[in-house]
Amino acid sequence: MDAMKRRVFLKGASMGVLAFTVDGIDILMTAGEARARAVPFRLLNGEEAETLEALGEALVPGAREAGIAHFIDQQVSVPSGEALLEARIVNVKPPFVNFYRAAIGGVDKASTARSGKRFAALSASEQHDFIDQLRQNKIEGWQGPPAGLVYFVLRSDAVDVVYGTMEGYESLGVPYMPHIAPDKRW
Amino acid sequence: MATREKEEKVDVVIAGAGASGSTFAAVLAKAGKKVVLIENGPDWQLTDLISSDMWGRRIKPAGPPFILEGKQVAPIGYHGGWGVGGAALHWFANVPRLLPNDFRIKSEHNRAHDWPIAYEDVAPWYDKVAHDIGISGDAKAEELWRPAGRDYPMPPMKTFRNGEVWLKGFAANNIRMVPAAVAMNSVDFKDRPACIYDGWCHVGCPIGALANPQVTYLGEARAAGAEVRAWSTVTRVLTDASGKKATGVEYVDRDGEKHVQPASVVVCASWAAQNPRLLLNSATDKHPGGLANASGLVGKYIMTHFTAVTNAMFDDDLEGAKGTIGGQFMSYERYSKTAHKGAFGSTLLVCGGAAKASGLTGIHNARPDLFGPALAAFMKRAVKEFTRFTAACEEQPKIENRVELVSQKDEFGMPLARIVHNYDDNEAALWNANFEEGQKIAQASGAKEVWQLRTAMPAIHLMGGTIMGTDASNSVVNSFGQTHEVPNLYVAGPGIFPTCGASNPTYTIFALSLRAAENLASNWGAIAG
Repeated sequence: MDAMKRRVFLKGASMGVLAFTVDGIDILMTAGEARARAVPFRLLNGEEAETLEALGEALVPGAREAGIAHFIDQQVSVPSGEALLEARIVNVKPPFVNFYRAAIGGVDKASTARSGKRFAALSASEQHDFIDQLRQNKIEGWQGPPAGLVYFVLRSDAVDVVYGTMEGYESLGVPYMPHIAPDKRW
Repeated sequence: MATREKEEKVDVVIAGAGASGSTFAAVLAKAGKKVVLIENGPDWQLTDLISSDMWGRRIKPAGPPFILEGKQVAPIGYHGGWGVGGAALHWFANVPRLLPNDFRIKSEHNRAHDWPIAYEDVAPWYDKVAHDIGISGDAKAEELWRPAGRDYPMPPMKTFRNGEVWLKGFAANNIRMVPAAVAMNSVDFKDRPACIYDGWCHVGCPIGALANPQVTYLGEARAAGAEVRAWSTVTRVLTDASGKKATGVEYVDRDGEKHVQPASVVVCASWAAQNPRLLLNSATDKHPGGLANASGLVGKYIMTHFTAVTNAMFDDDLEGAKGTIGGQFMSYERYSKTAHKGAFGSTLLVCGGAAKASGLTGIHNARPDLFGPALAAFMKRAVKEFTRFTAACEEQPKIENRVELVSQKDEFGMPLARIVHNYDDNEAALWNANFEEGQKIAQASGAKEVWQLRTAMPAIHLMGGTIMGTDASNSVVNSFGQTHEVPNLYVAGPGIFPTCGASNPTYTIFALSLRAAENLASNWGAIAG
């Protein structure tokens, strides 16, 4: 890794933050902070982000506030080799933005076909039923990546932002116990 | 693509800087050979190994050049390596060894293959590796099931409630558990500190308590002068006009420049998937079906392990996030090939791995059906009460499970490879038998809830594809990994296993690589020419 990337990577890692672009400048913050500051999305459009937030929240309560849409948007905008997404280890083919766009599009298309509404506009119980069908590959006329894979990956993303951070461990009452800090700090 | 002048000739060029490549490099560099390792990803340092499941994904492949087919697709993304250290940078460091029965399945059961060597040929190298890289455990206790050898250099690791709670259930089922052998430091070892039991082994251990290549053989290789070229991808092994001698490799660097690295000896150490891809892409008029492929077996007999996991909740705070990710106790009690009626193959039992709150092995994936408030409630309980144990099972080699080239190419112009992998009814029977026994063990342990995920057979630990044997009629390489047709071309790693047992493969990879590298160093003149 070159020195600049290593510094950004390790600083981000040690603080649990990512680089988001504000007014053309990369600023390190958590995905939740990026959402709270309404940092513009890099690749996702407004409807895609809205669907992602609704899906994330329905999968793991707290994912919306934890910034799942900003997390995924930032992650699909970096080179695949730098991505932290679960997608990379379950054999999703880069660029990962293609997977997410197809998944979100599939969800909204199926939701509209079933209920006349995009996923984000469904009631909580309708969202639950939809996801339960998605999980079991039972959505009629599904178009997109395998429905079970979409469920698995998005659920993992939501778990990452809600529970996979030091704050997430604290919320569960589990000691995070990071290793001994490296001698060299960035 | 631009092509640079040839690099200066070296003694040994190694494609891949993981467990096997690092071992070859250490031995040969210390023997005074000029060694170059070529690795396709970053040159990871210990300071890159962040304690986080999210950040830990950075040391794994992103978009590996394989198309996965079959009912139980090959384990590439999670189990593969990317960059210096390879998969051994994030291994769980469980080090059970293969047992004598693994080496003679054909002779004893008229199934699969015999190895061309016996357990006794490998045992000294297991012992040597243990003292090279550092293994904690109780070798004497393991002699319940295997011939005696040297003691491990360190006593067993500490144990925790998340492993101890299972012992009553195993005992009730006449299964003797012994301390798990792990390549981790229970005490300070060779200037490396003792483990601090934080359970982050699987994303890379930055303190060197776990024996990853950076702190073991690769470190030794570098100290002895071996050069590592990161961000460089070997695309072909080159041979002379006769086709009987390897002359080096072609590789592409990060800037897309093509290089030729001449060498007296070539070692393919790029894992069980990439080595066949590389050999098949190195076809010449003398090797029209792929280099060293007169047998037609390059890419064939891909194997994996499968696990039958028993999950449970106990009325106890098990502190599941603590310990090590691998395991605290293990047993070969079901390692006989016929231990389970109606199924064939070995089983290794392991309990006591740490369970984190996220990641592929995170506790949320113990109940993949849960989402929303039900998942949140489960997480709150599971961080205290959840634990699991694993029955790791052996797949029998099948020629239909294979790696083969396809017409689609990667960014370097190298054909992608398809990996086809399926289990058969025998594996399903072994899997189910272990689930049945798992239920009995869990009930006898006093678990208050027990469940098992039987929806999809998992595939872990990729092996085979360049198997060893007696000659080119039945195999690609000999027991040293030396190809039958090109004596100065080696294949290293789990790809050379002709059968896979049920034991985690990396200890055997180290042992076979050390045995082969020392043999090469001792016979350098005859082999390298």
